[in-house]
Amino acid sequence: MFKYIARRILFLLPVLVGVSFIVFSLLYITPGDPARMVLGDQATEEAVQEFRNKEGLNDPFLVQYGRYVYKAIQGDIGRSYMTRRPVSDEILSAFPSTIKLAALSMVIAILLGIPFGIISAIRQYSLFDSVTMIFAMVGLSMPVFWLGILLILFFSVQLRWLPSSGFDSLAAMILPSITLAAQSVAIVTRMTRSSMLEVVRQDYIRTARAKGQKESVVIWRHALGNALIPVVTVVGLQFGHLLGGAVLTESIFSIPGVGRLMVEAIKMRDYPLVQGGVLYIAIAFSLVNLLVDLVYAWVDPRIKAQYK
Amino acid sequence: MNEHTEKNIGQSQHGLKEIFKRLSRAPLAMIGLAIVVVLVFTAVFAGFIAPYGYAEQDLMAAFEEPSGAHLFGTDEFGRDIFSRIIYGSRISLQVGFIAVGIAVFAGGFLGAIAGYYGGKADNLIMRAMDVLLSIPSILLAIAIAASLGPGLFNLMIAVGISSTPNYARIVRGSVLSIRNQEFVEAAKAVGSSDLRIILKHIIPNCLAPIIVQATLGVAIAILTAAGLSFIGLGIQPPIPEWGAMLSGGREYIRDYAYMTVFPGLAIMITILALNFLGDGLRDALDPKLKR
Amino acid sequence: MKGNSRTKATLLAVSAAVLLCLFAVPALAKDTLVVANIYDARTLDPIVQNEVATSGMCLHIYDTLLALDQENNLVPMLAEKWEQIDDVTYKFALRKGVKFHNGEPFSAKDVKYTVERAQTPVGSAIRQYSEVVDKVEIVDDYTVIFKLKAPFTPFLMSLSHTWGSIVNQKAVEAAGESYGMNPVGTGPFKFKSWNKGDRIVLERNDDYWGKKPAYKELVMRAVAESINRTIELESGAVDIAYRVPVTDIKRVEENEKLTLYRHLENSTSYMGFNCAKAPWDNPKVRQAVRLALDNVGMQKAVFRGTGRAPNAPVAPSVKYSDKDIPYVKRDVEAAKKLLAEAGVQLPLKAEIWTNDYKPRRDLATIIQAQLKEVGIEVEHKVLEWGAYLDGLQKKTHDMYILGWVASVPDAEFAISGVLRSTGGSNYSFFSDAEVDALLEKGKSLPDGEERAAVYKKVQERIHELAPWVYMYNEETFHGSQKNVKGFVPSPRGYHLLTNVTFE
Repeated sequence: MFKYIARRILFLLPVLVGVSFIVFSLLYITPGDPARMVLGDQATEEAVQEFRNKEGLNDPFLVQYGRYVYKAIQGDIGRSYMTRRPVSDEILSAFPSTIKLAALSMVIAILLGIPFGIISAIRQYSLFDSVTMIFAMVGLSMPVFWLGILLILFFSVQLRWLPSSGFDSLAAMILPSITLAAQSVAIVTRMTRSSMLEVVRQDYIRTARAKGQKESVVIWRHALGNALIPVVTVVGLQFGHLLGGAVLTESIFSIPGVGRLMVEAIKMRDYPLVQGGVLYIAIAFSLVNLLVDLVYAWVDPRIKAQYK
Repeated sequence: MNEHTEKNIGQSQHGLKEIFKRLSRAPLAMIGLAIVVVLVFTAVFAGFIAPYGYAEQDLMAAFEEPSGAHLFGTDEFGRDIFSRIIYGSRISLQVGFIAVGIAVFAGGFLGAIAGYYGGKADNLIMRAMDVLLSIPSILLAIAIAASLGPGLFNLMIAVGISSTPNYARIVRGSVLSIRNQEFVEAAKAVGSSDLRIILKHIIPNCLAPIIVQATLGVAIAILTAAGLSFIGLGIQPPIPEWGAMLSGGREYIRDYAYMTVFPGLAIMITILALNFLGDGLRDALDPKLKR
Repeated sequence: MKGNSRTKATLLAVSAAVLLCLFAVPALAKDTLVVANIYDARTLDPIVQNEVATSGMCLHIYDTLLALDQENNLVPMLAEKWEQIDDVTYKFALRKGVKFHNGEPFSAKDVKYTVERAQTPVGSAIRQYSEVVDKVEIVDDYTVIFKLKAPFTPFLMSLSHTWGSIVNQKAVEAAGESYGMNPVGTGPFKFKSWNKGDRIVLERNDDYWGKKPAYKELVMRAVAESINRTIELESGAVDIAYRVPVTDIKRVEENEKLTLYRHLENSTSYMGFNCAKAPWDNPKVRQAVRLALDNVGMQKAVFRGTGRAPNAPVAPSVKYSDKDIPYVKRDVEAAKKLLAEAGVQLPLKAEIWTNDYKPRRDLATIIQAQLKEVGIEVEHKVLEWGAYLDGLQKKTHDMYILGWVASVPDAEFAISGVLRSTGGSNYSFFSDAEVDALLEKGKSLPDGEERAAVYKKVQERIHELAPWVYMYNEETFHGSQKNVKGFVPSPRGYHLLTNVTFE
């Protein structure tokens, strides 16, 4: 098991090199001079050149990339052009908001998705099932930015119940979390339902029923545990997805998270911040995936055996 | 979703008729299909359906509530929102289908090579796909869109590239499971070239999972494109992209909510239809459900 | 096994729920002014950035030597008295008994350090202000002499810009590269905390040498979505909201719990021609396009009756703005005639570029329609800001809409950066020897009638050669709660909040 984890983490390195290369190349071909963006429209031509020289922006592509990798290996991923702060500080101060947002959305998705999925499965083809499934489909099809706007319009403007921006109180977190959670709720519900239906068809469930056990016992003791195993994977994948999906939600609700930081950094051509940010996100993404695999192995001993 | 679809091998035995028959038994899928057909029809005949041009301004008639003259009202330039949504279907469907086309073609090609040849090629290609997958697709799309600049075509490329790895994975999975089957062995034995084997035997056999993924992929592509337009990296005005219309109407939302409601509904109904259809197709193509 | 995995599943759900406890709810004290701005400051180091959100914070943490009052008159700050000794020499008598937030006393060496630091690469963004200074001499602890490289009349005025915020060497060196997060000034507020992208909190400096603020804490929030700023204002979550969108003016004005503020900015937005590219290199073509456009009507339509259509390149709130230049009336026939005289083949195809700013996109949409009437077919391209500036430098554009802020309210700062042949933001590549010579002269003339005449001539010459069609002087709106008194917004775009009181 330990060996497996070590190998997976080691495998992260070439991925990160690849990620940094892709991002570096993309930024290199992106039109726009960081010097002008950083220094503002009042800056003189000499100041622009001074900045470009200082940041090595006039060097050839490979020299710039080589220098970046060389420094990154030593743990230095540079400073933001805009704020002059170390990129790591910049990202680490934005991460908590995004993680909170994603975690809260995940909680909503689990708390709503699993029970609704189970009930739908138990009462397959009932009215409850149809309504839940249609709602799930609608949730899946709703563009997040539209949902966010509608929620603001209704709960902040019409009813005045909840703040429309910020992320400093539980009240302020409600709308963004619901917005971001909508798709995940739908996915978790659907997954729980179909996984539950599949398990119910298995032989051991039939056996349990044949033995005359009560339906509730069959469902809760025998079916649920196994049905939730694939749901764990989906939940894990969703978490990674939420980290990325937070980009739009953060923009709508003015949340100071990583997604918004990245969009701003791209718009302002803050190269070190974009590169560092994508690296951090890639690491977080990969670690979450690893964690999902581990949890998966933990809840399903059959898989655990394969890793030994 | 992938685990599901990757298991389906040799779909072509079913025949299209059989699939359609099964699809027709799922009412939601048929509704989805109907909506998609209507959308395609709308996109093709937008010029005949739309009562006004999508860029036709009438400053005297700005901000008119929905009425007989303007079904969905008018925007800040007095442009007819209904007409813009009709024309917008063209843009969204183009972006959806072409972006997915790019992804299917590129991903399919890479996945087929990786699966068929295995070894080093497989390793290299799939690691590259892992790299792309470790960047959230919306972020990758944003970065690509920023570096290519705004515009319809660039938007398609951005969305296409960011969803390529999914298809590479599916195709590789399918190919791996088919590669050693008898009919492929047989073709090899009679001396067919690799290319011929891939094109004639392997590709047709992994079409089913691709079709399902692509149907859902079109939905995702349309949503991603709308999202990019929403943050200002989308399409040039006055082209009526739904996401851009939504974004533009945002500042008038408190006085003229209809400006955002209709484009939002248009996106949602389209995605809903594609999801219904994709779900139905998956069930129809899934041999396990025959029981 | 099944029972076991169920427990695990429950455990997962519980641990997820525990995450909820991470979210604490901080409460806001009464003695606090909460302001909603569009975006966050980028740094609190006054020379690293030259933009309004950063300046708006530095204004409260630091003091400059001189400040400007509402009528653009110089008033003393850290310099109590000043005099011009000759063309290039200025002498300042500094305020005594002033302390930095870190307890260090303020003296002449801080002024010298501030200017010299601004001239290093750290200060690239504000180089245009610092580069005029040759050296700073310390006469005694409370007297300094500035020597300029060449005569530069708006120099004293430029010292009121936040680039001239006096910093303390010890504090800067102690914080190293993280100084932007650990600012130390002599200003009315001390830095307290910064949640990046969300809010900056400053607290009152109880040892301030001047008038102390009436409230204890200043909270500057970043609320990017404009409708959200209005919503926050209406719900009472913020005391002042900067930049209320035009669509919400009525709402704020008619709300009896709120006050609306409005002012013109020190900026002029224009549609520029690429004068380095045919046919736009021909003044007749430019004049023809100007004739084909109803810029006054356009401005009214897009800004819904707010703001002002400019008649000259220098905004009215800026010194030496020429108010006598007549507006050009739309005349399609005259435009067509001029185009014919210039030998332009119609229909002429051209592009107009804008960034994503909505009023500019809207203007371009109308320009498109009006130019069609004279036979110019315009394609509108919306570029994202970075790509826009990049594209403009490549000289391939035809027409573009952009604005220019006079960061110091003097005509020199309103014109030289954009319309002098050497200007860093001269994207119309306009180059006229007469304009250049006049600007050079105006820079060093002492304020007075002669200088006024020079800038009048410059503006007339520019009007004649038409490198720009003037689009708008933007009017900005802010809102506050009714009980907020003493908020006076400034045309510079960043506002002093020290005098605000609650009723």
